[in-house]
Amino acid sequence: MAPTNTKINRRQFLKASASAVVSLAVVGSAAYYFKDKSSLREKGFLRPPGARAEKDFLFTCIKCGLCVQICPVRAIHLADWDDGLSYGTPFINPAVQACDFSCDAIQCAETCPTAAIDFQIFKHAGNEAVEPLYKKYPNGDFPRNLNPFKVQIAAMKRADKMGLAEVPHPDQCLAYHGQGYKGPLGHGNKGKLRPPDSTERIRIEETEVNRKICDLCVIYCPIGEEAIELTEVSDGKFLPKVKDGCVGCGVCQMVCPTIPQAIIVKPLDKEPQFA
Amino acid sequence: MSFLYDFITRDKKRKPLPPKDRSNLPFARLGFSFKEWHDGHVNKHKWRNRRWAFLIFINLLFIISFAFDLSILEGSLSGSRLIGIYLMDPFNSSQELVIGSRTGYIALLTTNFWIGFFVIMTFYWLLGGRAFCSWVCPYHFFAEMGERVHNYIVKKKKIREKTYDITVKYVFWAGFLLLAFLTKELVFENLNPVGILSRSLIYGPGLALIWVVALLLYEVFGIKRFWCRYVCPIGTTYSFIGDVSPVGVKFELDKCGYCTDCQDVCLVPHELWFVKKGAATKEVHFTGGDCTKCGLCIDICYGEALSFGFKAPSYILGSVEEKKELHPLEVPDKTKKEK
Repeated sequence: MAPTNTKINRRQFLKASASAVVSLAVVGSAAYYFKDKSSLREKGFLRPPGARAEKDFLFTCIKCGLCVQICPVRAIHLADWDDGLSYGTPFINPAVQACDFSCDAIQCAETCPTAAIDFQIFKHAGNEAVEPLYKKYPNGDFPRNLNPFKVQIAAMKRADKMGLAEVPHPDQCLAYHGQGYKGPLGHGNKGKLRPPDSTERIRIEETEVNRKICDLCVIYCPIGEEAIELTEVSDGKFLPKVKDGCVGCGVCQMVCPTIPQAIIVKPLDKEPQFA
Repeated sequence: MSFLYDFITRDKKRKPLPPKDRSNLPFARLGFSFKEWHDGHVNKHKWRNRRWAFLIFINLLFIISFAFDLSILEGSLSGSRLIGIYLMDPFNSSQELVIGSRTGYIALLTTNFWIGFFVIMTFYWLLGGRAFCSWVCPYHFFAEMGERVHNYIVKKKKIREKTYDITVKYVFWAGFLLLAFLTKELVFENLNPVGILSRSLIYGPGLALIWVVALLLYEVFGIKRFWCRYVCPIGTTYSFIGDVSPVGVKFELDKCGYCTDCQDVCLVPHELWFVKKGAATKEVHFTGGDCTKCGLCIDICYGEALSFGFKAPSYILGSVEEKKELHPLEVPDKTKKEK
C-alpha cells in the first residue's frame, strides 16, 4: 500500500462500509420480521425433550445437528428456511416418528453443547429418584426386583413435558365406536418403537396387532397408567383419557391407526427465561 | 481499531528494501535466462491435490458418520464432535457468547461448549487461521471453482473485474456480532453458506440451498469471491488468529525472480503484496491472517522462494531479522532431466 493510495483507499473503504452497514440493516430488520414466523407449532411439531422455551431455544440452538445424529430412532429433523428464524433447529414430527425414549438417557439433551436442550432437568430428576434408594441400601445390595437404573430412567422420562396429548375429535377414535383394530401399527407411517417392558425396538409398519377394542395408544405409551388410560364413556364406547403424567412424547399419535389420527400431541409453551 | 489495523499491516508500513540487481536474480545466478528458468518448472499441483483430497475427505467423513451411524465426526461444521471431542464454529460461538453475556445465558453453556471453542481456536491458531477456509470449508471448494469460471469470463471480456476494499470484512464481522446482540438471535447462522452447505450435505438438501446457489452465481458473474473476501465473518475470525499463528507461507526474497505468477494464482492476492519488485520490506516475509494456506503459490513458484514455514515469536511481534547469506539455489526439475 503506497502512501499516495491512502486517500483513494479511504474513500473506497467508506463506500464499501456504507454498503455493508446498509445490508446489515436489511438483514437485521429481516431477522426482526421473521422472528415469530415459525410455523413449526401450527404443524404440530414438537421440540426435543428438555428443549428450552421457544424464544430461548431459538438463540441457544446453534444448528449443529448433533441431536439429530445421536437419536437412535431418527426422530429429530432440522427445520428449513420456510420456518423463518427456526431454520436449522431440531423438531420432532410425532405423526411419523415420535420420541419413544428408547435411548434411555435422553441423549439428545446430553449431547447438546449449548444446553438448548437442557440435560440438567433430567439429571436432577434422575438423581432425586435414586438418591433415597442408595441411602436405603448403602452397600448397593438392592432387592432383586429393584433396579436403580430403571428407577432413574423412569424418573428422567417423566421430568420434562414436550407437549400434551389430546383427543380433539372423539368420533374419529375406533374405541369410541366400540371397534377393534387388526393390522399393522400406525397409519401407514414407517417408524421405530421400543414397546414398554421390552428391550428391543420394533418396526411399527411390520408389527401386526389384533385388539378387540382399539387401545394401541394406551398399551404403547412409554409412561404408562399415569399418563393415559382407556375409559368407558358410555355403554360400549371407550375413549383414551389423557392424565397429568403425559409428557407429550407422541408415541400415541405415531401408533394411532386412523387418518387423521384421533389422538394428537400439541406442543406446550414454556415461559422464556432469557429472551 | 486503528491500533489493530496498524498491527495487521505492520510489515507493509516499513520502508521497502531496494530491488535486487538483475545479476542477483536466481535464474541469473544459475546461469539461465528467465525463459529457460520459467519453462523449466513443472507444476505438479502437489498442495492443491492434497488440499482438495483432504477437503473432500473431511466432508465425506461428516456424511458417512451420519449415514452409517459411526461416532467418528458427528454434527456439522457449525458444531461437531470428533471421536468424543467437541469442536465449535468460532463465529457461531462468538455470537452465542455475545447474546449469552447480554441475557445471562453464558453461565448455562456446557463444558463441552467451552472445550469445543478453545480446541478449535487453538487448533486453527497452530495451523494458521484461515487454513479452515481452503482445507475444510465446502463453500470455499465451490467458490474456488466459481473463481476459475469468473476468471475465464473476465478473460473473454464478458464482464469487467471489480475489486473493493477488503477491510470491509471487519465491518461485517462487528456488524453481525452487533446484530446478534441487538436481536438476540443467531442472525448470521441463517445466512451462513458454510453451515447451510454442510447441513445440506449431511442431513439432505433444503430450501436454504437457494441462497448458497445465488451467492455462488453472484460470485461468478458479479464480484469475484464476494462472500469469502468481503463478508464471511467466520473467515475474519480465523484471520485474527491466523495473523499471530506460528505457521504461514514463507517468502525468501533472494530466491524470488519477480515473476509475480504466484500473485496471479493466489486466492487472496493482497497477502502476497511482497512479491512485487521492490515491494518487500524484509528478507523473509510470511503471509498474514487472510492467507488460507492453500499452497497454490507454493506449487507454482519456479525458484522455490515460497514454502510452508514456521514463524519465530519475534517475527509475529514485528521485529526485523538480520540479513543472512544468500541461499544456495537448486536447478529446477525439468532442466535437471535435460542435463
